[in-house]
Amino acid sequence: MSQTVNVKLNVNGAAAEIELEPRETLLDVVRERLGLTGAHAGCEQGSCGACTVLVDGELTRSCLIFAVQCEDKAITTIEHFGSPGALHPMMEAFRRHHGLQCGFCTPAMVLTAIAFLEESPHPTESEVRSALAGNLCRCTGYAGIVDAVLDVAGVAE
Amino acid sequence: MKPAPFDYVRCANVPEAIAALSGDEGAKVIAGGQSLVPLMAMRLARPTLLVDVNDVGLDGITVERDVIRIGACTRHRRLERDPVIARVAPLLQEAAGLIGYPAIRTRGTIGGSLVHADPVAELPTVLVAAGGFVVVRSGAGTRVIAAVDLFTGFLDTTLEHDEIVEDVLLPVAGTRHGSSFCEWSPREGDFATAGVALAIERDDDGRCVALGAAACGLASVPLDCSTLLAAVLGETSASGALLRQIARVMRADLAGDPDRADLVGLLAARAVHRAFARSDERSAAAA
Amino acid sequence: MIGERTERREDARLTSGRGRYLADHDVPGLAHVAILRSTSAHAVIRGIDVSGATALPGVIAVVTQADLDRAGARPMTHRLPLLGVLPLEWGLLARDRARFVGEPIAAVVAATRSIAEDAMELIVIDEEQLPAVVDPFVALAPGAPLLYSEWGTNEFFRMTSLPPVLGDVLATAPYVKQFRLTDHRIAALPLEGHGVQAAPDPATGTLHVYASNQQPHQLRTVIAETCGLDEQSVRVVAPDMGGGFGNKQHFTREECLTAMLALITGRPVRWIQDRTEGLISSIHSREQVHDVTVGYDDSGKVLAYRVDVTANVGNPILYFSGIGPAIVTVGALEGGYDFGVVGFDLRCVATNTCPIGAYRGFGQPQAHFSSERTLDAIAVDLGLDPIDVRRRNLLPDGPRPWITGGGARIDVGPLGPHLDALVTEFGYGRWRDLQSEARADGRLVGIGVSALVQGTAPTQYGVAGRFGSYESAAVAVLPDGRVTVAVGTKSQGQGHETTLAQVAADVFGVGVDRVTVTDGDTAQLPYGMGTWGSRTAVMAGGAVLRAATQLREKMDRIAAGMQTASAEPPTFSEIAEEAWWQTHRLPADEEPGLQQTVVYTPGNTMPVPDEHGHMNFDETFAAHMTAVAVEVDPETGDVRVLDAVLVSDCGVVINPMVVEGQHQGGFAQGLGAVLFEEVRYDDDGQPLTSTLVDYTIPEAPDVPRLRVVQRETPSAVAGGFRGVGEASIIATPAVIAGAVADALAPLGVEITSTRLHAHYLRRAIRAAGYTPDASAFASR
Repeated sequence: MSQTVNVKLNVNGAAAEIELEPRETLLDVVRERLGLTGAHAGCEQGSCGACTVLVDGELTRSCLIFAVQCEDKAITTIEHFGSPGALHPMMEAFRRHHGLQCGFCTPAMVLTAIAFLEESPHPTESEVRSALAGNLCRCTGYAGIVDAVLDVAGVAE
Repeated sequence: MKPAPFDYVRCANVPEAIAALSGDEGAKVIAGGQSLVPLMAMRLARPTLLVDVNDVGLDGITVERDVIRIGACTRHRRLERDPVIARVAPLLQEAAGLIGYPAIRTRGTIGGSLVHADPVAELPTVLVAAGGFVVVRSGAGTRVIAAVDLFTGFLDTTLEHDEIVEDVLLPVAGTRHGSSFCEWSPREGDFATAGVALAIERDDDGRCVALGAAACGLASVPLDCSTLLAAVLGETSASGALLRQIARVMRADLAGDPDRADLVGLLAARAVHRAFARSDERSAAAA
Repeated sequence: MIGERTERREDARLTSGRGRYLADHDVPGLAHVAILRSTSAHAVIRGIDVSGATALPGVIAVVTQADLDRAGARPMTHRLPLLGVLPLEWGLLARDRARFVGEPIAAVVAATRSIAEDAMELIVIDEEQLPAVVDPFVALAPGAPLLYSEWGTNEFFRMTSLPPVLGDVLATAPYVKQFRLTDHRIAALPLEGHGVQAAPDPATGTLHVYASNQQPHQLRTVIAETCGLDEQSVRVVAPDMGGGFGNKQHFTREECLTAMLALITGRPVRWIQDRTEGLISSIHSREQVHDVTVGYDDSGKVLAYRVDVTANVGNPILYFSGIGPAIVTVGALEGGYDFGVVGFDLRCVATNTCPIGAYRGFGQPQAHFSSERTLDAIAVDLGLDPIDVRRRNLLPDGPRPWITGGGARIDVGPLGPHLDALVTEFGYGRWRDLQSEARADGRLVGIGVSALVQGTAPTQYGVAGRFGSYESAAVAVLPDGRVTVAVGTKSQGQGHETTLAQVAADVFGVGVDRVTVTDGDTAQLPYGMGTWGSRTAVMAGGAVLRAATQLREKMDRIAAGMQTASAEPPTFSEIAEEAWWQTHRLPADEEPGLQQTVVYTPGNTMPVPDEHGHMNFDETFAAHMTAVAVEVDPETGDVRVLDAVLVSDCGVVINPMVVEGQHQGGFAQGLGAVLFEEVRYDDDGQPLTSTLVDYTIPEAPDVPRLRVVQRETPSAVAGGFRGVGEASIIATPAVIAGAVADALAPLGVEITSTRLHAHYLRRAIRAAGYTPDASAFASR
């Protein structure tokens, strides 16, 4: 075991000071220390996108950044955007368009879609697909996901 | 899939980072971490100390007459979107947009990508094609390394352990410049099976007077293909005959996997075609 | 209600990050497991030194097979009742020999997963390398390295069915063709890998196991057996699952091992498979070679069909057995066709590779690939339209059930109208015109078609040696009129919380939001069979329908005797309250309460030969017709799907949105299988696809939209359901291959493999003499 360090994190607007090993990824820390289990460990190699969160507003794979690197940065996870009783419009659209089956990729997919539409409010279908290319889904074939994003963007299918 | 233990230091400036590196043979610089962290997760990389250079101030972009100087920690996302890059280094802009996925490009940096030296990565190929340089600093001072002297093999460079890349230098595109990065991969965000970076400059008569090109996917380093594409020099357009000749020559002369050589030839033809088209557009815009 | 496009009840928690998957069940004192795996494809293990690992701070236990033996762990075995399967037992860890890269050798329990992985690096294995064998034909050759020397062969199982008349018909058929078809190895790759968490309860002496497993009750049985416990001492809960696709259907060493580690350490422990473990050591699928001989007449009618199947089953240490898919392949060779006389010679070959096992489709994609390639070859040979060749060979409209030579009882409706619908909806004629125009322009456009009849809701007996064909459901109406449903199946994303609620709501005439469905918990029902084999709508749907109907009838009887203040009949809640709380007023012969448990079977399967030698493995059958148009880029080998239509008849549709979702998802997986995915080994048995950079599944830009047309021919089983989970993944590889073959026909390229990845096609196109046109490519 290496030295442990104290790190101040700001997650979903709340401050947290955590003693951790430098080797702990942001993914492991939000999940195991903060109980925010909406970010999922799909590969821990940066290939599947299921762990995507926002760091200072930017889409970031939380398995590819160590928590110790996130001191004083604003971390935003899926839990910030909605809850079962108060879904974000993107979450509702995923439900309406059957944009999920097992749901394992879904929180990161939803978060990526939200961030994407902030930058590109009126995308084409092909732009939506490119924006989501780094988020693997094994269940849906992506059709419902793409429909959901286009729906929220107000783009007719 | 958890990294081996390591210590961590976040540095405020380059000398601090160099000192940290010099003090530990197992130390490694981390910038974006998009290539390093997967290797650490698989324990294929086992640094004893991570020297974080994200806050050392290496993220400036400045144009100095005919050279653009890009701070090593400039992220791909910025290369993709910065209007100065788009104007003076369009090849770099295009290549940056082809790297991985959005959530990779928000973190990954130009310096990190270059010193990681993955032979199928876009930016090393651009550096060779453009004839760029990296400025590196150590306790002994700075030195400038030309692209062709930087890459020595798979994930290997001529950088010394205690050297840090500060800046990347690329030539500023001329008024009749045209460039293109063409790659083929099975899926959109994959590492390229093969790719070609190409930039041309043309004179007032539209003749191609300078050309730089490099290919990835064929060897353990980006391959300088400028000589193989010499037929383009003096041409005023990308005729069908020229494009077919390029593909033929490259397929025949490139060593290595014939399938990839075949692809590189085709991609080179496409890159030439697009470079001329973009040069035409640029010339028209300038006129 | 049945038939409505009801939004899914599970989606509120799953979209908002509140789903609880295996790794989301932290408990105080939880320890973490890492498993040391063989880096050699074949080696004798002479000794394992764990002293360094044991001494590492934070390590709780380091366990080898010798420790498991001492702790009373029992071996696993395939239990197959089939004649001729060689005997095989295995420990939860490799004892003295490793037979594939990734085989588990030792386990570390530590305070964190990081420490467990640190400790793993300190374990020293003294091993002697042995030659490895990867290719099944090499493994069958004389002198090949043997995985199990006591067998004297690598042929784990051979089964033949070659009717004497087969040879006569082939000898006299007007046309005979012989060719070899290859199905390559892939992995199901649920996005959430396998995982297990086990905790002993010292108060009751029981073991509480969470497992990301499709068959919790059977897993309970197997864990109890391997850990030396009573079945009632083990509770298995499968929580939210991040996909399964058959990959989580087997009862694995790791699941039993983690249970043993909880017993040995006396504390809660969790093992989460990482992605590389998943890719190299979980379960692989599909790898088979088919040597086809087909005899046919002028009209394209098949008279005789023989397929010799060579199945690479890897190191076959899997329960239920990894030969299962191959057995299904040879049982499904004809699909929905009448091929006259059918025969096969199946060889299941052990090699030094990861065990082969279940993946959505389970042996049927290989059978379907061969039947469709064969019919396409006949069409080309005779100059006939592939649709017409299929019409000639499809089962006639009657009688039903159609009983095949082997005894399968096919109960689908008339198939011709489905094919008509496909031709219309796809615009088959229009696509042929477009193809002609494209060819005139030098573009490679092709059309593929497939006609699939798929057995659904199978019995597991044939591959597990036990476990029948039934499903359990417990339905209750609570005093407040809310309905609870517990089933023995387990959703891995299929939406059963919604669809089974729709079934119950339909019976009771209440809103779907009043019904709560729970699944995957062995404490809820004595036994259940889990979710796999396109079975849940048929089996759990039927069980829920039965139980709810019986309750509904009881409520009607109670209501008839109830006095209400107004003239209105009593409400649903009033009847429920009456049944539970006003029991003195109930009719004399009526039991109090509203609770009904049903163990339901349609009763159509017969997994052992009857007096006619007939066997039937499926409770019912579904019919699906697919057509695609593709364009192949001859320069890069890229395949672009221009259009895809699937006509679906899965009987009565509970929720059309969910049915469409199953088809879209299966289509993506089928497309991925042939265009992007391949598990590869080098000649020494080292895996070459151990990360998602090397094993590439389709991304959003890669999967076109499938147009789904739903038709309903109710089956005779309860509810009229037929099952839908696997149809499109079975059909897609065959139909894409047909389209690619059609596209490349002008170049003289033949498609005899499921390897349609761009780099394979590029090579085949070049080998056929095509010279790339750099100028045309450059301007594209």
